[in-house]
Amino acid sequence: MTIGRVTSSMLSQRAVDGLQSNLARLAEIQEKLNTGRALNRASDSPTDSQAAMRLKSAVGEQEQYTRNAADARGWLGITDTALQSASTSLRRASDLAIQAGNGGALSADAREAIAVELEQIRDGLVGVANTTYLDRPVFGGITAGSAAYDAGGAYVGQPGAVERTVGDGARVRVDVHGPDVFGSTGDTVFDRLTDLAAAVRASDGAGVRAGIDKVANAQGWVTSALSEVGTRTNRVEAAEQRAKDAVITLSSSYTDIAGVDIAATVVDLQMQEVAYKAALGAASRVIQPSLMDFLR
Amino acid sequence: MGGTFSSFGTALSALRYQQNVLDTASSNVANAKTEGYVRRRAEGATIGAPSQPALWSRSSPGGEGVGLTGMTRLTDALLDARVRAEHGKQSYLDARVAVLDRVESGIGEPGDSGVSAAMIDLKAAWQDLSNNPSQEASRGQVLARSAALADAVQQQSRMLEAEMSDDRARLTAMVEEVGTLAGDLAATNASIAIAKVNGTDAGVLLDKRDQLALRLSELTGASATQRSDGGLDITLGGVSLVDGARGGSLSVVSGIGPGTAGTPPVVLGVTPPGGTTTTVVSTSGETGALAEVLTTTLPGYAAELDAVAKQVADAVNAAHGAAYDAGGAAGRPFFTYDAADPAGTLAVALTSTAQVAASAVPGGGRDGSAAHTISTSFAGAEGAYSRLVNAFGTTVASAGRLAATQQTLTAQVDGARDQLAGVSIDEEMVAMVAAQRAYEAAARVMTTVDSVLDTLINRTGLTR
Repeated sequence: MTIGRVTSSMLSQRAVDGLQSNLARLAEIQEKLNTGRALNRASDSPTDSQAAMRLKSAVGEQEQYTRNAADARGWLGITDTALQSASTSLRRASDLAIQAGNGGALSADAREAIAVELEQIRDGLVGVANTTYLDRPVFGGITAGSAAYDAGGAYVGQPGAVERTVGDGARVRVDVHGPDVFGSTGDTVFDRLTDLAAAVRASDGAGVRAGIDKVANAQGWVTSALSEVGTRTNRVEAAEQRAKDAVITLSSSYTDIAGVDIAATVVDLQMQEVAYKAALGAASRVIQPSLMDFLR
Repeated sequence: MGGTFSSFGTALSALRYQQNVLDTASSNVANAKTEGYVRRRAEGATIGAPSQPALWSRSSPGGEGVGLTGMTRLTDALLDARVRAEHGKQSYLDARVAVLDRVESGIGEPGDSGVSAAMIDLKAAWQDLSNNPSQEASRGQVLARSAALADAVQQQSRMLEAEMSDDRARLTAMVEEVGTLAGDLAATNASIAIAKVNGTDAGVLLDKRDQLALRLSELTGASATQRSDGGLDITLGGVSLVDGARGGSLSVVSGIGPGTAGTPPVVLGVTPPGGTTTTVVSTSGETGALAEVLTTTLPGYAAELDAVAKQVADAVNAAHGAAYDAGGAAGRPFFTYDAADPAGTLAVALTSTAQVAASAVPGGGRDGSAAHTISTSFAGAEGAYSRLVNAFGTTVASAGRLAATQQTLTAQVDGARDQLAGVSIDEEMVAMVAAQRAYEAAARVMTTVDSVLDTLINRTGLTR
């Protein structure tokens, strides 16, 4: 702009305006450094704010997925342990039954001892079938009760899938339906062991042989459940890793957008400080002198 | 050839005139920082032969004195009009930015404690409940975080209402101020007309007139036209607000109820002196800005926030109604709200943790799949809220940019006006020194003439 005539009030006004705008920029930088956020209100950058809000929501989701996956791993881990233990028990039962089936020479006491051990294995298996994770029986479906099987070996759970969301739209079932592992009502592994023990006790060779086959068959249920649980565990672990990676990536994107680049901001601050000092210096030189200083 | 004593007269006129110049300089210096003061200049003119000599008369060369012909206010009516127009626009934009900034700070997004954060937390709480449907703590957390979300929405709604109340109160006060200013300007116009007839210097009155007109423009964006008698007529939206010595008034025709209650749109009306109220649409001045935010921007935001609150409540209620609570009964409505003011009345309706429904199957089983469904049910509302906040952010950013651009323009016309009307101390010093020297010289002229006369009177004829 062309200045025809400069007045002292113009100069002082301009000096004040200049100092004000310098201070305003300083205050802006100060706010960024104080809050540690580049976006303190939506108008700082509407586009970035939109992205920041979306990223924040996505980070929350992915963190939730990792929490869900950790919980799912817990369920599946406990289930796996229970199934391993069931498998071991059944193997021991098979061994005992074979031992009993071989020996026409076994004494009644020895048969009784084997029958008692088979019954103990059965009771132990009922305990395994009632394994809980966080007070919930892992083979009981969605039951509100504390057990999947009663002492008599009858299924008292409530069928229903217990699922965990481990990714966007990825839901993994973490429970195992009890009857799939321990047999359906009327022909459970517990019934089979009871029958086997009775056959051993009665020295019923045909019954023992049939029992051995049935126990081996039940072993198959457990094994297939084990492989199913293993597959799910792999899925959960892969999903958990993905979610963790996503948290890191998304968080760093969020920080890129919403966080303050400390180094750059401090450099800005220094430059602004220099500008402010220059403005102060200019103001002090411009405002002070007047013709009065030079008139006698 | 003038008379013997004419040089005395000439010197005397110079003394008087230089005295006036010194007076003017001193008043300029005294008012160097006075708001609205326009510098004056003592205009002098040679007093000499008449421009139209009378018949047979002869003009006598030399001996022409100086006289004060008037005091000039160094201002430009067109520039003043420009200043008023730019100030009207500037105050419109500034007032709008101030309101929008306050609301934006109140919204507090993006942040860790706003509605958006509450929605993220609530989503996580429903997911946790889905993992542990039997845990009392998970149910309690869902209730607590739902209440937190409702609080956050309500708080934002209350903040908006409080801002609108404040703005209504300010608008009411401003409208009254406009009436007072119009009355003052009318009275000033009357005084100026009288001063003009009397021939007295109206400088101070003119300064006051310009200041009143500027303030009126800042408040309303009204435009002014100069009258032949020196006064200013003010019109707003084509309706006369000040007509010579008669002042009208500005009023809120509708939109503001008793107290600070009100419903948009806010309509302003001008009552011309002795006339009937006519509604005007003002897009300038602070009153225009407040009328605009109260009519469009804030109610618009409030309506969108209501829609988000309604969307959250309806989505969660629908999903919750399809689920079953801890006792196995169908879920009750989770949120309640008053359809007339969803955001302001959003609240959690459930009273106990057992009423939180997480199961998709009836009968009280520990199913959590419904909780998962509910956690995803308000994703649409989350998106709508994020769009709302960012649209508002865009509005604020654009208002800020407009205000900054206008600031440059306003500063430029202010500078131009100051170039013309502002007091330069140095300049006044120079004028003062010049007047002082001229005064001294005139006094010397008197001494010299006196000495000449002394020679003539007392020494003429004496030989020794």
